[in-house]
Amino acid sequence: MRRWLALLRGFRNILVKELKELMRDPKILLGMIIVPLIMFPVLGGIMSFSMQTAQEQAQKASVLVLNNDDGDFSAILISNLSTTVKVFVENDTSPEEALSRNLLSHYNSTQFIEIPSGFSINMSENLAGNKSVKASVKIYSVFSGSGMFEDLSSSMFDYFIEGFNRQFQPNIVYSERSSIIKGEIKNVDPRMLSTLMLSQAIAMPITIMILLTYSMQIAATSVAMEKEEKTLETLLTLPMDRFAVLMGKLAGSIFVAGIGAVTYMIGFNFYMGSFTSSFSAGANVDLVSLDLVPSLFGYLLLGISLFVTLLSALALAVILSAFAEDVRGAQSLVGYIYPFLFIPSFVLMYVNIESLPFALKMALYAVPFSHPIIASRAVVMGDYWTVAFGIIYVTLFTLAIMYAASRLFATEKILTLKLKFRGLRKNKKEPVE
Amino acid sequence: MSLGVAVETVGLAKDFGSIHALKDFNLKIEKGQVFGLIGPNGAGKTTALRVISTLLLPTSGQAKVFDLDVVRDAGEIRKIIAYLPDEAGVYRNLSGKEYLEFMGRFSARNRNELDEMIRQAADICGLGERLKDRAKTYSKGMKRRLLVARALMTKPKLAILDEPASGLDVLHAYHVREIIKRYVKEHEVTVLLSSHNMLEVEHICDQVTLINKGIIVAEGKPKELKERYGSANLEEVFAKVVGFA
Repeated sequence: MRRWLALLRGFRNILVKELKELMRDPKILLGMIIVPLIMFPVLGGIMSFSMQTAQEQAQKASVLVLNNDDGDFSAILISNLSTTVKVFVENDTSPEEALSRNLLSHYNSTQFIEIPSGFSINMSENLAGNKSVKASVKIYSVFSGSGMFEDLSSSMFDYFIEGFNRQFQPNIVYSERSSIIKGEIKNVDPRMLSTLMLSQAIAMPITIMILLTYSMQIAATSVAMEKEEKTLETLLTLPMDRFAVLMGKLAGSIFVAGIGAVTYMIGFNFYMGSFTSSFSAGANVDLVSLDLVPSLFGYLLLGISLFVTLLSALALAVILSAFAEDVRGAQSLVGYIYPFLFIPSFVLMYVNIESLPFALKMALYAVPFSHPIIASRAVVMGDYWTVAFGIIYVTLFTLAIMYAASRLFATEKILTLKLKFRGLRKNKKEPVE
Repeated sequence: MSLGVAVETVGLAKDFGSIHALKDFNLKIEKGQVFGLIGPNGAGKTTALRVISTLLLPTSGQAKVFDLDVVRDAGEIRKIIAYLPDEAGVYRNLSGKEYLEFMGRFSARNRNELDEMIRQAADICGLGERLKDRAKTYSKGMKRRLLVARALMTKPKLAILDEPASGLDVLHAYHVREIIKRYVKEHEVTVLLSSHNMLEVEHICDQVTLINKGIIVAEGKPKELKERYGSANLEEVFAKVVGFA
């Protein structure tokens, strides 16, 4: 009994000490408690807002109907559709003609329904008792590769046709789906395409997130380790340009992080491959023939975008680690950048940035880490200008950060900077040796 | 007979916010001297060494190394000095030899010069075959010997050594002190070292400056100081100077 009491007393003493030590460490308090408390509600808010926006847009969307049938049933279908969405009708127009006449942008729509000739005749036959005859409509949707919510408007048509059929006969009308990719009609269901592109929509943000997280940790640790071991002082008194120290550290971190990223991508590819192979079994969808694989130039732009972003993240990590006295401090400080990394990654995984309200869109564009994710979508769609602007912005950001980092290394600040949490603890004066 | 001035500071001051680490700090070190900066922890020794080795900028006053200004000519000064920080570490995953090669490449003009430096360093530190092992397997004393060897192998005009024997046991400390004494004699290097171990300083320094709370409180040759204050050793001198004894 006595032994147990002693054990309990020892345990309690250690526990109280640990809690005091940990909870009084402002880096832990901020990094582990306050940051998640802010980050996840913000993330949730953006996500629910994005979903709401996507739904609203789907409801507000206008639909172009190419009516090539002159019977009564097509008129009923159009009138029913008008009660759900805004409808524009063009008579006797083929889908190819609609595209060549730019009717979609004219009516500010991203999809059209073709009611083929014979629609009403087929409907009448079916209703007269010939169940083997069915009527069809063809739905064409513009594929934008904009993330997981792309299917929302597509599912709206399913509900509509189901409702229409309920009025007459179950399964009397069925729909055929096609995609419009880069202005051309491709005979592939956009929903299947979205499923296939999903792996890409998830893989890229996650890869970028991990690559940047790894490399920032490496860069911050390498500087903090030099400070902790006091090897940095020796380095800074050597006969060389201090910019070389900074560049050497950044290059080393990029190299190691690069190896990590490649290994990760290979592993992730196997992981995603196990899903997509089961998804696409029998679907026979070839992304190359659909022109949904980036060109060599696209890959090059994506590489540049990723590189400048990586450089900005590393320079930022080096600056932050200058404020830390040891490795633990540096890693905690780098943690403050993570929300800026995680929020754009998660948001862009699900949502097309263009569908977001202006302020939110600008906020995401302002975060340099968003750009390689945006670029990864844009190169697939051949939108090279978006990628180029992103590269220019991140390059300017990187130059500014690199300049700040080089100034830090050029002065005594790299040794004397310390982050002060004035609000959290008394600003104690430490003795100077 | 004076051989010229290696280091000179005039009215040097260094502040960290409201803390005055150095105040009106005037120092003159002759070439070829082993000069000791002594004082208790927190006296400002490291700050003075860091300013002279171009790591910190003076808040006011002037510091010159071989007539080069620490602010204006920092790059030139770094070519002729070697600085050994207090409690400095070595790269854990490099072997001792790799560490010396890494450091030597910044000064050596060619492979032969580098090889000669490494040979010198190996001789100074006396680590022998252990130089091939990774530094993380070294004891504290071995690391310090490696670092002292690194600082001296380039034959700097001025070696700035902050607590060169700090944390070492008697034998390792003795070894490090012997290295410094021998090297200065052989290569006419000027050494500025700091220590809070006043007995140690007495053994190797030609000239010493006693510093307390950022201010120079006494200076001279160890023997002169002992005579002036009627003390048996520098520890007693210091205690008398600061009014502790």
